[in-house]
This record gives sequence, C-alpha cells and structure tokens, in this order.
Amino acid sequence: MPQDILNSNFFELFGLPVSYDVDLNKVQQHYMALQKQVHPDKFASASDQEKRLSMQHTSWINEAQATLKDPVLRALYLLKLKDLDINFDNETTMDAAFLMHQLEMRERLEDIRQKDTKHEGDPLAELETLAKEVKTSGEEMMAGFNNSYQAGELDDAREWVRKLQFMQKAKKEINTLIADIEDALM
Amino acid sequence: MALIQIAEPGQSTTAHQHRLAVGIDLGTTNSLVATVRSGEVDTLPDADGSHLLPSVVHYAGNEILVGSAALQHSVSDPLNTIVSVKRLMGRGIDDINTDDAHHLYEFAETDSSVPRIKTRAGNVSAIEVSAEILKTLKRRAENALGDELTGAVITVPAYFDDAQRQATKDAARLADIKVLRLLNEPTAAAVAYGLDSGNEGVIAVYDLGGGTFDISILRLNKGVFEVLATGGNSSLGGDDFDHEIALWLSAEAGIDDLRDPAVKRAIMQQARSAKEALAEHESVDIDLDVAGTRWQGAIDREKLKELLLPLVKKTLMSCRRALRDAEVENQDISEVVMVGGSTRVLIVREMVAEFFECELLTGIDPDKVVATGAALQADVLAGNKPDDEMLLLDVIPLSLGIETMGGLVEKIIHRNTAIPVAKAQDFTTYKDGQTAMAVHVLQGERELVSDCRSLARFELRGFPPQVAGAARIRVTFQVDADGLLIVSAREENSGVEASVDVKPSYGLSDNEIETMLRDSIEHAEDDMHSRSLREQQVEAERVLEALDSALAVDADQLLSAEEKEKIADARQRLVEVKSGADIDSIESGIKQLEAACEDYVARRMNSNIRSAMAGHSIDEYSDSTENVDAES
Repeated sequence: MPQDILNSNFFELFGLPVSYDVDLNKVQQHYMALQKQVHPDKFASASDQEKRLSMQHTSWINEAQATLKDPVLRALYLLKLKDLDINFDNETTMDAAFLMHQLEMRERLEDIRQKDTKHEGDPLAELETLAKEVKTSGEEMMAGFNNSYQAGELDDAREWVRKLQFMQKAKKEINTLIADIEDALM
Repeated sequence: MALIQIAEPGQSTTAHQHRLAVGIDLGTTNSLVATVRSGEVDTLPDADGSHLLPSVVHYAGNEILVGSAALQHSVSDPLNTIVSVKRLMGRGIDDINTDDAHHLYEFAETDSSVPRIKTRAGNVSAIEVSAEILKTLKRRAENALGDELTGAVITVPAYFDDAQRQATKDAARLADIKVLRLLNEPTAAAVAYGLDSGNEGVIAVYDLGGGTFDISILRLNKGVFEVLATGGNSSLGGDDFDHEIALWLSAEAGIDDLRDPAVKRAIMQQARSAKEALAEHESVDIDLDVAGTRWQGAIDREKLKELLLPLVKKTLMSCRRALRDAEVENQDISEVVMVGGSTRVLIVREMVAEFFECELLTGIDPDKVVATGAALQADVLAGNKPDDEMLLLDVIPLSLGIETMGGLVEKIIHRNTAIPVAKAQDFTTYKDGQTAMAVHVLQGERELVSDCRSLARFELRGFPPQVAGAARIRVTFQVDADGLLIVSAREENSGVEASVDVKPSYGLSDNEIETMLRDSIEHAEDDMHSRSLREQQVEAERVLEALDSALAVDADQLLSAEEKEKIADARQRLVEVKSGADIDSIESGIKQLEAACEDYVARRMNSNIRSAMAGHSIDEYSDSTENVDAES
C-alpha cells in the first residue's frame, strides 16, 4: 500500500495488479471498503482539517474508481503509467479503412435522423442495431489494446485507444439521438 | 445541551451523549421535520397535531406567519403570501419570467442577482422566505424534544443545480441551523424504506412532489447506497397537475380570465381537492363559486387520466433516460420507491408499475418518507450510531463546464460522476503581460453557453506577468459531498495562488447574508455576540471530543512521545480557555490545536485506508489464485 494515497497508483490503491484485465467486482468491493473509511459523512463532526482531508481522499478514490471501471480511461491510464503522451488533440492521421468505416457509420446515423422526421421505418430499432455493432467493435478494440499492451507494443496499444475513443463518441451520439427521438415521440 | 462530559480516562466519550439531530424535508408544497428518538423515527407534529407544515409564508404588517396560518391568507392576500417558494430558490429574475409564467408576485428592482419579492414587510428573497419555514421547523423540533438542535440533514431534489443547493444552505444559515448534509430526496426515501439493510440490487426512486419530479437509479450493497444516475424535471409536479385540472375547470365554467390571482388560486384549490378526492372515489362533484360565476359539475378518473397523461408520460421519459445513464434495463429494477404526494394519484401508480414491470413500494406515507430518511441519516451523521455501516454515495446531477471560445461549453465534470470529485484544468494567457483572466462556470448538458445555467464568474488575479501563452494557470474545480462547487487557482510556473473572486450568478454574496443576519430581529447585536460565543464553545467541545476519542484508539501506534506531548499541550490550552467569554482566544485555541494535530490527522487517514485494504487482502486473496500483494 502506498504511503501517500493522494499520489498513489490507482491499481495499487485498490489492491489490484497493474493490468488491463480487472475484476470489476473487486473494484466495486474495494471502492466500498475505502469509502467507508474516508467519505465525508464519516467526518460530519470532525475538524475542518479532517473534513478537507476526507474530501481530498474521497475525490481521489472516486477518480480511481471511475478510471478503473471505464475501459477507455483505464487504457489511457495504463499508457500514462508508461509515460506515454495521451493527448491526441493534434493527431490527424489514422488508418484509412477505419476512417472509412467511421464515415459510413456517421452516414447511417444521419440517415436515421432524417428518417425520423419523415416517420418511415423504426428509427429506434435501427439505432439499437447500430449500438450493438458499435459495442462489438469496441470490444474488439479493447482486446486489441490488451494484446498490444501485454506484448509491450505500446505504440500499437496507443493507436487502439485512439480508435476506442471514436467508438465511445459514436455510442454517445447514438444515445443522444435515441433520447431526441424519444422526446419527439412523447 | 450538556457541555461537560465525564468519561473514564482512555474511554471513548462519543457514545454517551445523544445529540439532537433532525431531518428536514423542505418541500415545495409542504415541509416536515423528523427525528430519531429511542431508536424510533418519527415526524414531529406542531401544537395542533399536524405533521405537514404548508410551505407558505405570509407577511402581515408586523408579524410573519408560516404554515396553515399563512395559507389562510393565500386567497385574500396573495401578493403578501408566498407559496411554492422552492421554485424560486437559486433562480434569477429571467428564469422566473420565462419558466414559471404562472408565478404571482411582484418583484422589486434590485442590484443583487437574487430576485426580491415585494411584500408589505419589505422586499424578501426566496432564501429569506425559506429561512422562515426552516425556523418554524427548528422551533417545533426544539419544543418537542426539549433540547437544542445540533444539526440537520436537509433534503433537496436530486435535480437541484449548484445555485439551488447553495440557496438552500444559505436559508439554513439564516435560520441558524447547522447543515450536516444536503441529501438528495430520493436517496432519503430509499433510506426510509430500510433498503440499506440486507438488500442487494438496483432500485428506482420515483419522486413526484408538488413542484419537482426526480427519478433516481440506486444500487444497494451491504449498507452502501450508490446513486448510479439521476434525472428529472425541476419544473414538473403536482402543481402542474392542479394547473391542468384548473385549466379544464375554468374552461368548463366559462371563466377565461385567470389573471386575477385570487380567482386563479381559488380554482387551483378546487382542482387540487378534486384530484385528491379521486384517489379515493371514482368520481367527485365540484361546486365552483368564484368571481361571480357558479359552476356545478363532476370529474371522474377517466377525465383525470386524460388530463394528466401527457404530464405522466413526461416523467416516464425522464425515467428511460435515467435508466440509460445508469446503463441498466427496466428488468434490472427490483423495486420502485414511490415518493411525494402526487404518487397517490392512481394513474401515476398504474403507469409507473407498467413501465418498470415491478412492484411499487408505497407502505410509508409518501409525504413523510423523505423526512423520515433524512432523520435516519442525521442520526448517523450526528454520531449517535457510531457503528452504523450506512453510507450514501452520491453523484453530481448536472455537468459542470466552463465557457470557451465561440460561446461553447467545455465540460469539466460530467453528470452522474461520483462526488466529492476534483478536476483540474489548465489555462493560459493570450496577451503579453496579462495578470488576470475571467472564467465563466456553467451547469447543464447542452453545448451552447446560452442553453446552460450560469453558475458563477470567476476573476483570477495576481499571477505574474509573462509572455502570452507562457502562463499555466491550473484551476481546480472541487465539488463537495453536498454537490457544491469550490474553485481554487494557481499559476504553476511561479506557484502563485491566484485569488478567485466568485460572483455567483444567482446566489447571495457573503456580505448580503451577513446583512440579513444582522437585520433580523432575532439577531440583534448582543445576540450576535452570544451566538458566536456559543458556537465557538460548542466547536471547542467538538474538537476536543473528536481528538480524545481518536487518541484513545491509535495515539500509541501513530505518535512519538514528543508529538503526544505537543498535542497534549495544545489540548490543555484549549481546555483552559474554552469556558471563558473571549471568542478570539477560543478560536485561536482551536486553530492551534488543529495545527498541532495536522500530521496526526493525515496519518490517521492513511492508516485507516491501509487497514481497510489490508482486511480485504486477507479474506479475499487467501484462496484466490491471483498473486496479489495488497500491502505493496
């Protein structure tokens, strides 16, 4: 266990090996055990200093849990531990086939959005299908990341995360569209 | 309250004293106060035996009436009788003009960002009106229990944004109530049903009150409540039901002018009683007699259903979204807790049961369930149940972001993130020699600044001049367990702490609150002094008590003899000054003791965390094939 919790490695903090494969049940169990020690509610009558410490520690543990639970954040965090730059903002080049696929998906999304206004087909069912595809692709990319990461091919691993982020964005857009369509139906 | 505690040396002093802590449901239509007495939780009645306090404040010439006494004036003197004030909390004048078109008050022109209602007794803000309700509940609790209040858990809709939460806390401050925690109403409801004990699974809390609708998806696991997602609508509730019925009623009766507040309220009251009666009967007769118009007729459940269907559907839409946010399906929900008076309406129950395909929990009076849960939590937070395992983990209901170029919002903390949470964001300067910058903080899910709620504008000042783009100003957004935002900033190259000048968009400044405290008759000069003195004495007691019980547990493991002595000296100095009448020396005594304990407190926190994880490593990993060393 690290001496300085607020600078600790999230995996160590949760008593887990540093690996992309994590037992989410354990993350949850350990999260609860840690929260029972540090949560501000345990310090409702404590000194201001303890309250502040409690807030800092709980924030840190919350961030650790959010990172360990989320497949993209967890992957990025592993790369960060290897001192890799994980700021993708200025990178524009990418695997052409992948980009084509992304474009197609975006067109389908746009089609569904158009259809909705004309009331043809079942846009929600189509979105459901699209969401499943995105999920499957995402899982493939996670597996790809894990293989590259384990083999120590970090540049490849990094590329997988970039792609994974696209899938996450697509998922979000699909959900937003579902919500919009549901709103319109009400 | 007993200020002197007698305990055996080395024995924990915490268990001996029962602290009076209450749960307060500060509702749109009604408010309640509840407490735990001899292990039983009860809502407290007033002298006449009624538990519900109508959230109505009437400003008569020289006195302020709260509750039923105030409600009696709502038809005859609507402009001086403030109802549903919760809807105005944390709101700016523009929100009120656009969102709540059917609000009935006159607002004063003011420099402050907080709208003030013109009344006979002067201009009052929503915060002051709420404070009157809180004061009444505080008095009720202290009278019923014959003791001084240590603190309260006050509930807010999960959907409340930062400004609305802050306004609620400010109201408590004006009412001289120490807030142990702002608790989300749905979480309180789940606690009331005792769903923390034994249950594991995912539940939904459907809370349809007078003015707000909240849906929360919670995961329960061994005493821990984890809010997975919350959603809802802060301007949808039973009042809107009444409004729909009132519109139908006035159309039937041929009353087309609802501008007269007295007429409107009379019809609204008629609508409300019809709605309530239909929970018991298939059909009710209505005899309307207002503004010279008499109408006699009836309304049945079928008609009610037709009128309310669109509103109930709106709530289900929010439910679907919350399920999606929580990444669970309808079928994963094992129970639905029904909260709020409006869930008595049959069509609501029918449609909710159909939507979630599961049983509804309606055993506890839906009006009392939130206060009940708040009281249970207050009892735990006040330290009356030191061994209780209950822990409520909450999320932030709306994303927090900052304004960027082009009027867009960049999200910094996403909604449904577990709180407390801290996120840092780096900024830089765009002009040579720039020493200040403005940051605009917003809350909401939309991309445009104009579609989100402005929370505050910060001016960061005092960082050293550098060439454009060289400064690195790290702004940390910390959201505490109550869901309130705290901002700090620091220039990383120089290490200079930039001062943050907070201008809440719709909140009271500290100065305004101070002035209100001073202005109120209950806090005349002498009173202010004795109140501060009492506060410091209680604070000193609290610090000493907490320290003694901590030392009894682990002083020997964590402190050297020298450190122990240092703490003992500071402790002794505080003990010597704490019964005196000098506020400053008590305050500095507390500060010095806290300073002496700084390392000790930090070590305790770390040691607790380590022991928590060590415990896990023993019972879990011993027969696990994984080779994990949790102590490393």
